[in-house]
Amino acid sequence: MQETIFSYMDPAPPCAPENSILKGLTVAIQPNLSVRGWPTQAGSRALEGFIAIEDATVVERLRQAGATIKGATYMSELGLGLTGDTGADALKNNEADIVIITDNMGESRVSACAAGVFGFKPSYGIVSRFGLIGLIPSMECFGILAKKLADVSMVIGVIAGNDSRDLSMPDFGPESGPELKLPDFSRVFEAKKPARSCGVIRECLEIMEKEELSAFEATISKLAKRGIQTIEIGLEDFNMVRTVHNIIGAVEASSSAGKYDSVRYGHRAAGGKNWNEMYINSRAESFGVSIKSYLFQGSYFQNENYNAFVDAARIRGRLSAGLDQALENADFLMLPTIRKAIDPFTADTVNEIYDSFPWTLIANITGHPAITLPKMVVCKDMDIGMQIIGPRFKDANMLSIAAQLSIG
Amino acid sequence: MNYRDRSECGLLNLSDIGRQVYLFGWVDSLRDHGDVLFIHLRDRSGIVQVVFSPEFTDKAICSLAADLRNEFCVNVSGQVVKRAEGTENPCIETGNLEVITTDMTILSKSSVLPFSISEKAMLAGADNPVFKSASGAVSEDLRLQYRYLDLRRPTMQDFIIKRHNINKCIRKYLDDKGFIDIETPMLTKSTPEGARDYLVPSRHFPKRFYALPQSPQLFKQLLMISGFEKYYQITRCFRDEDLRPNRQPEFTQLDIEASFIDETFIYELIEELLVRIFEINGITLPRPFPYITWQEAIESTGTDRPDLRFGLRFIEATDIFTNTDYTIFKQILQRGGHIKGINVKGASNQLSKNILQNEYAKEIVPGFGAKGMTWMRINNGKLDSNIVQFFSEDEKRLIIKRFGAGDGDVILMIADPSRSLVNNVLGQLRLHVANRLGMIPMDSYCPVWVTDFPLFEMTESGITSSHHPFTAPDRTDFDPKDMEALLSLKSRAYDIVVNGEELGGGSIRIHEKKLQHKIFQALALSEKEVEEKFGFFLNAFDYGPPPHGGLALGMDRVIAMILKTPSIREITAFPKNRSAFCPLTQAPSSVDYEQLAELGMLDIKGKEELSGVSQQKEQIDNLSWLSRIGILEGERPEIKAAVADAVKMAGHVNEKAGSSEPMFSVFALKNRFRDGTSPKICNMVKNRNLFKNAPAVKGDFFKVDTILE
Repeated sequence: MQETIFSYMDPAPPCAPENSILKGLTVAIQPNLSVRGWPTQAGSRALEGFIAIEDATVVERLRQAGATIKGATYMSELGLGLTGDTGADALKNNEADIVIITDNMGESRVSACAAGVFGFKPSYGIVSRFGLIGLIPSMECFGILAKKLADVSMVIGVIAGNDSRDLSMPDFGPESGPELKLPDFSRVFEAKKPARSCGVIRECLEIMEKEELSAFEATISKLAKRGIQTIEIGLEDFNMVRTVHNIIGAVEASSSAGKYDSVRYGHRAAGGKNWNEMYINSRAESFGVSIKSYLFQGSYFQNENYNAFVDAARIRGRLSAGLDQALENADFLMLPTIRKAIDPFTADTVNEIYDSFPWTLIANITGHPAITLPKMVVCKDMDIGMQIIGPRFKDANMLSIAAQLSIG
Repeated sequence: MNYRDRSECGLLNLSDIGRQVYLFGWVDSLRDHGDVLFIHLRDRSGIVQVVFSPEFTDKAICSLAADLRNEFCVNVSGQVVKRAEGTENPCIETGNLEVITTDMTILSKSSVLPFSISEKAMLAGADNPVFKSASGAVSEDLRLQYRYLDLRRPTMQDFIIKRHNINKCIRKYLDDKGFIDIETPMLTKSTPEGARDYLVPSRHFPKRFYALPQSPQLFKQLLMISGFEKYYQITRCFRDEDLRPNRQPEFTQLDIEASFIDETFIYELIEELLVRIFEINGITLPRPFPYITWQEAIESTGTDRPDLRFGLRFIEATDIFTNTDYTIFKQILQRGGHIKGINVKGASNQLSKNILQNEYAKEIVPGFGAKGMTWMRINNGKLDSNIVQFFSEDEKRLIIKRFGAGDGDVILMIADPSRSLVNNVLGQLRLHVANRLGMIPMDSYCPVWVTDFPLFEMTESGITSSHHPFTAPDRTDFDPKDMEALLSLKSRAYDIVVNGEELGGGSIRIHEKKLQHKIFQALALSEKEVEEKFGFFLNAFDYGPPPHGGLALGMDRVIAMILKTPSIREITAFPKNRSAFCPLTQAPSSVDYEQLAELGMLDIKGKEELSGVSQQKEQIDNLSWLSRIGILEGERPEIKAAVADAVKMAGHVNEKAGSSEPMFSVFALKNRFRDGTSPKICNMVKNRNLFKNAPAVKGDFFKVDTILE
């Protein structure tokens, strides 16, 4: 079983320091996160044979806090979608207490929901990406999967926070102004003012299947019984979410993947007669067809239609402002997490991959924190997930609300 | 008056005083004193001052002169007079006289110049005008775009005229020696040896190509078979090679071939020739030219182009460390390695421990390709270094003795399992240190013949000729299948090297068909291949070929060295720039579709289109090229569909985007450096070494056309 879940297991994990808060917790990561000496291929032939030379900040912090990094699971190529990802299996089979999955489109939330566990994507930017082999720099976050919400909260508390080695991360702190305030994860479970209002997006309700809608409405009425009032919110650009994500994601992925040139590391095709042939042939063989299609889309936008990228960014700005506005009127927003009858783990075209993430993309576009709670929205025996979205950098509050909702 | 009455500006002298002269030329510069106007009138011969004054110039001419501007082309009549005492101008040859104008015609006007052309001050004591454009230093591309103006500058004219003089001297010398100048074709056959050919499509034979010659090699050998005995040609050659700063796609070669001669004929001929042409710019080459074998050059300087203007010869040190305890040396020697070094005399003040360890050992030498460098300074008769504690007393004593080291000396050593790497790296280090410490004397010239090259060398794709396959070997009794024996053969080739630069080379050729076939056998060429590549040439060897040999000199480099210009573009009238582009004519340029059609170039590869006809190319093929990602078999439909989706998505967002502010990032990201580090400019930038080979530089950056190319 371990072999089908882990692509690499640490033969001799370092001893945890005494009295550390994560002592005893085992963590599974993806092979796109650097652990010194571990094979780190990010699921792609483009990084064939690559061995990480430094520990990622996340890894360093988890180990310092006492967690045992057990190994790396399998992952989709370069982290686009969940095709072939085995992170959630590690939890289901009790091979790990915590799984860290890069969340570009909702990977952590969708796989958590499918496995019946908590899946949390923090606010964009609060966790250092140093040591991550990323794909979509303006959206990617470390998602955390766990059976217990308390574990999620402890882990994010450990890994979040300033890191000067992430060369694009802002410094959170009083001198950076009120906007950039790091959530305080130490007080998630202390009694707080309970949530009173829940926002639902009208355009989201409109496109739900009938069965999904009735399951969702059942949950809404349960919330009402607990004194949480539901507010319907209009978000005109909601049906553009997928397109916006696809355009921006493809452009950024195409830039990110530009570095895989086969010169210093990774797969190199034999027999190139000059530099260009070497690049073209190596990159032809390095990328699988679905990520390659995505990179071609990115190349199209970058080279032939840059305006499309700017247009997508305009809509992105409106979506972000729209969520901020909505979260001024409601304590949290609620959406489902997955869709019935779609298997994200076997998707193998760009369209199929996007089909797997109908409700999660928006939080990646806007950078808001989101979490999926298990067993809250059940549609004909299938848990389609209760995904809640909170205000940016109010991750701790959102986790408190999640705790409040998931009790009883 | 007409051209017969013309005098040349720069040739006027005191004997002309009082004479009425008739001048043509360009306005080099002007000085306006109200009523009186002075101009420098310039023609090819030089400059003379011309004065317009109401005192002796007609009023109409004076007012016409007021319109003059720089580089107007004019015609002046006037009288030569001696300048008043104290107004002489030593900046120009004719500074003690001037021409007072009686008549003047503006032959043509000039627009505002893209850069200044005048190089001579109009007043004694004033600085000469600086060659610059309105926006500061003149970029080379701007000079090349207006090359005809650039060439008006006396400095450039002098270069071009001296080049002419050098060519004239060569022709006279070779003519005196009985050499005949014979032209060989420019449109010829593509030969698969050497660099890439420039191809010329043939209209009469669609889809067939001529090649421009990379050298007249085969033709000059055929001329020997024809019985001309002594041939020369100053000819243009073409090579489509990768761009280098000092390389041109077309270049000039002095090509020489002679029959019934041996190496000494060539050595004597070329020594005398070089001495004569260097003398044209006042450079006396030391004679006789010494010889050095290839082996010796490699072993003592690390290169087959040794710069002998300074010492720093390599010293063998491998045997000193046969029984060493110093682990690094021990391991290298166990792998059959070698240790060699140089003694930089009296350099310990300039080469501090810090420089040796942190610059040379850690950065510079690894950049040359070695793992590291061992250094030792000599203090009070003792070795001082970070590793001497690992050496035995014996070893220390031997090092000092072998290197002849005294106080203040610095010994640098390279150790590696590969001997060629030791030589190569030490050779680069030798040049680096010599440059850094100013050990290379200016205006010194050290010619040397490099001889006894290996006939063959081993490459990844097998054995190849070091020179070309027509070079004669030093013996003929070898077995073409015995690889080791082949690699030990020497060739009868020679290079002439001056100051570390190869100016030319050649060889005695094979003239026996049997031997030639043996060489082809050694090169593993099949008979069919030989027939295809060289058939026409080898047939000639059936008809009594004479023994012969020759040499070619790269004239651009020779002339650049003689005229001390940093680049061969300075001594070429119309060069291409560093990107092999001509800013003046904008060549290479695209051509009409009809031209291509006429040449049968449109479907040259059957179904595949030619590049350049990209409008007919599929979109994903263009994207594949731009993103340098190839498409494998079977992937095409999916990628095509994805790109079609992308096009649709673009239309969709365009419809909905409106004009709100685009958001590229959720919040402003930071750009910073790692803790404890700060941006710094490395020494290679400060001393500009990093930019030595840059195609173009902008500030502290390389300037390139596109990143990938």
